[in-house]
Parts: sequence; structure tokens; C-alpha cells
Amino acid sequence: MAGERAAAARSAATAPLRWLHERLPISGEDLRELTNEPVPNHLKRWWFALGGTPAYLFVVQIVTGILLAFYYQPAPETAYESVRYITEEAAYGWLLRGIHKWGATLMIAAVILHQMRVYFTGAYRKPREINWMVGMCLLISTLMLGFTGYCLVYEQLSYWGAAVGANIAGSVPLVGDFMKVMLLGGDGFNQHTLPRFFVLHAAVLPTLLILLIVVHIAIIRVQGVTEFEFADEPPDKPKTFNFFPEHVMSELIIGLLLMVVLAALATISPPIMGPRADPLVTPEVIKPEWFFYVAFRWLKLFPGTFAVLSTGFIVFIMFAWPFIDDWLRRRFKKPEISVWIGIFGVLSIIVLTLWEALVAH
Amino acid sequence: MSEDTVRTRRDDGDERMVRSRRTLLSVVGVGAALTAAYGTLAAMMGRFLLPSGPPSTGWMFVTQRDHLGLGESLLFQTPAGATVSIARQGAGTAAEDFIALSSVCPHLGCQVHWEPQNDRYFCPCHNGVFSPDGTGIGGPPGDAGQSLPRYPLKVENQLLFIEVDVAELAQGPGRILEEPAVRGPGHDPCLDCRQVSA
Repeated sequence: MAGERAAAARSAATAPLRWLHERLPISGEDLRELTNEPVPNHLKRWWFALGGTPAYLFVVQIVTGILLAFYYQPAPETAYESVRYITEEAAYGWLLRGIHKWGATLMIAAVILHQMRVYFTGAYRKPREINWMVGMCLLISTLMLGFTGYCLVYEQLSYWGAAVGANIAGSVPLVGDFMKVMLLGGDGFNQHTLPRFFVLHAAVLPTLLILLIVVHIAIIRVQGVTEFEFADEPPDKPKTFNFFPEHVMSELIIGLLLMVVLAALATISPPIMGPRADPLVTPEVIKPEWFFYVAFRWLKLFPGTFAVLSTGFIVFIMFAWPFIDDWLRRRFKKPEISVWIGIFGVLSIIVLTLWEALVAH
Repeated sequence: MSEDTVRTRRDDGDERMVRSRRTLLSVVGVGAALTAAYGTLAAMMGRFLLPSGPPSTGWMFVTQRDHLGLGESLLFQTPAGATVSIARQGAGTAAEDFIALSSVCPHLGCQVHWEPQNDRYFCPCHNGVFSPDGTGIGGPPGDAGQSLPRYPLKVENQLLFIEVDVAELAQGPGRILEEPAVRGPGHDPCLDCRQVSA
């Protein structure tokens, strides 16, 4: 009798689970199969988690960005005041805007470091050429997110940054004028411009980024993560470990550390309000965000159209690098040639960035 | 069963226990850290979404900026009856060149006024002296450490405004009780009397 009652109680307790299982027939074994992608051992080394870092920061940007959008008003008359309200009056607004601003900086830095790691470990080579190009699209989308976000504040610097950016787009031969009009919603900065930047920043580019990340990860899962062997590893060591829970745990801890770093940066260097945009007065010194310093310096070094076209050419070279590298290695029979080119590229970026950072004009 | 085998099994068991204890500790530790960090953030985010209340103060028009000359002061009354002494202490045209202080002496409620000649606020009732920013520096208010309450002031489009409670704004405009003039020794009738009698 008592046994029957216990069985009935057990049956009632598991009824919701049975109800769910009838509709979603996924067993625990299936879930384990789905999540337990074997992860190569080298991912235990933290610097190989640089791909997950921008993804985590992107989630932070989405969450803080949605919150900021509750108050932000994308119109020339109201944009500056709404950002000031967020920064100075809304509870924890300074913190959330600070996390969003610093999150953007760290996300771009992490994407660049991730790309450098992929480059110098040759992880873009056959069969991973397509994923390298998807990664390039991710880099450009991330930079565009940074640019459009910077322009939304409607401060003097962000306003003139948008104006200069649009004029750069405008100097591309043939399609330049069209691109500029599409970006600004007119020939110059007008009442349609901020809504455009806002829609690009908050809807179009994030959606594109999500799609690209899905493709990026799907390709990684199809091809597997590039496996590396290190000289100091014992030969009988297992080659892989479990994605869940081991790797997930590492990523969670990285996420927590990033949260601490972001909160600290937002507190130590909180976002401030510069002077309101004045379309009639160009500031003495115009600077974009640090990640465009290299392009900005390049534009100052060469005449307009040449600078823009050569920038486009460099981006094209970066896109096609897996194929160019393949050709170079077959032609010159020197496998380390890409490393030397990479070092030259990184040094050039560092020098141009520092140059732009250290001089006023 | 040999002794070796027994020891090995016990060692295995110990190792399993150590491993499960370590797993438990790391899961609990990371779980607690995640809950604390993201919980705090979620609470802050919730508070952020709750709009900050409407401002409790607003700007009340006083007069045109250039209506008040250098060294002059005027007496302004808010709709609720508070009297404010507004003085032009600087030669410039920015808000920093003006000051708005309650004209009521914190000692016994007499009216104080700005003396540009002496660079001070003065209360004729008991010789209370205040610095240009309203801090009590002499007489009974100076001894008691009492100061004149200050009203935030701004200059916009060449007009002077002071910040008052938003409830006062709803009651209509304030009014100027005493037009701008240079007050103090040589100008203040009461002080003139005192100088004569001295």
C-alpha cells in the first residue's frame, strides 16, 4: 500500500518532465553529445581564449547597449542631452555607459589580438581560409560598430568624427558620393543622420555580427579547432578535454575577470561629457577613437584619394591573405615569410597609432 | 588479496574523494562569484531602468544681466516670500561674476547687504560680517559659524536666473523688492546715521 503511494507520488513529481520530454524528445545523452565537443588541449592556455573574449564582450555590449537605448534619443536636438542624462542623472548611468564604452575598446582590442594569434600560428591556412575571411568581416563590422557608436554622443569630437568619416567615404572614386549620402541621409550632417547611425549601431551591425559569429563558430565546429603541439607536453597526455564543463568553466572565469576589469575601468576613468556639437566650429584638434588612429595617420600622410584607395587595397590583401600566403610559400619555399610580413604589419600599425596619439596634428 | 592491492584501492578512493571535493569547491566557488557579480549588475540595471524622478528645482528669472552693475546688489523675493540678495562681484559677464545669497541673517533674521567697498556682506543689526561667498566671519554669525544659504545662479542669453524649488516656480514669477544699487558705508542710511553719531 505504502509502496503504491510512493510510486504514485514519484509519478506525479516526474509528470512535468514527462510532459516536456513528449514534446522535446531530447535525452541527457543527446545534450551531452551536443555540448561535449572535444576541445584541443592548448585551449587550456588562457591566451587561446581570445576568440571567446570578444564574443563575451559582445554580449556585454548588447546588454548595456539595450539599457542605454531606453534613454538615448537619436536626434540633433536631444541626443547630447539624453547622453548627459544617462551619464549624470540616471542611477548607475555613468557605470553602464562606462562599461559600454570600455567594453567597445576591449572588444576591438580582443578581436585584433585574436586575429594576430590566428595569423602568427598560421591557423588561417587550408582548410580554414573561409573562416579567416569571415573573421575579417567580423573585424570590419566591429570597427564600424565602434565608429557609429562614437558618433551618437553628439559631442564636438564625435560630430566632427562623423563628418570626417563621411567625407572619407565620399572620396572613394565612382561610388563615394552615393556612400556618403547613404551614410548621412543627405549631402551633409542633417536631422536624418543620427537616426541612421543609431539604426546601424543598434540594429543592422549587431544583427550582422550575430550572423557572422554563428557562421564563424559553425565553421569551427565543422573543421574542429586547429590543434597545436607544444614541446613541453608529455607525449602520452590526452589530446583533448571536454567543452563542458571544463572549457565552459574557463570561459566563465574569464567572463568574471573581464567584468571586474570593465567595472574598474568604468570607475577609474568614467565617461565624461565633452562640449556639445557645434556644426559651425571645428575643434582645434580632431581625433577619432584610438582604433582608427592608424587609418587617420595614413590619411594625413598621403593625398586623399590615394590614401583611401590604398587603405582599401590593404584591407583586400588582408582578406585574401590565406591565398597570398599559400602562393608566397610555394614561390619562395620559405615557410616563415608570413611571420616576417606579419611582424612588419604589426610594427607599422603600432608606429602609426603611436604617432597619431602623440602629436596634435 | 595482497596488501598492495588493498592500498591501491584505498588510494583510488581517496583520489576520487579529493577529485569530487575539488569539483564541488570549484562549482560552488565559481557559482557564488557569478551570482554575486551578475546579481549586483542585474540590481544596478534594474535601478537604471527606473527613471530618476523629475528635477525638484527649476530656474527662476530674476532680471537682465546688465541691469545689475559692478558692485551693485538687488533684493529679490521669490513667490514663497524668501528674500535673496543678488550681487555682481566680478567685472565679467559669466555666472561666476554674480552671487545669490539669502538676505536673511542667520543670527536673528535681519536683512544683510553687499558692501563692495569692504568686500563683505554686512548685517547692520548686530554687526554680522560675511565673506563674499556668504561665510560668516565676524559678529554673532561669525562666532556661531553661521553662513548665508546660497542659491545656484546661471546666466543664459544675457538673463539672470536663480535655482528655486520647483513648487515655487508653479506659483508664478518673483519680484524685485529693491532695484540695483551700491549699498554700504556712504550709501546705507542706517550706517550713515551710525557714522554721524560716532
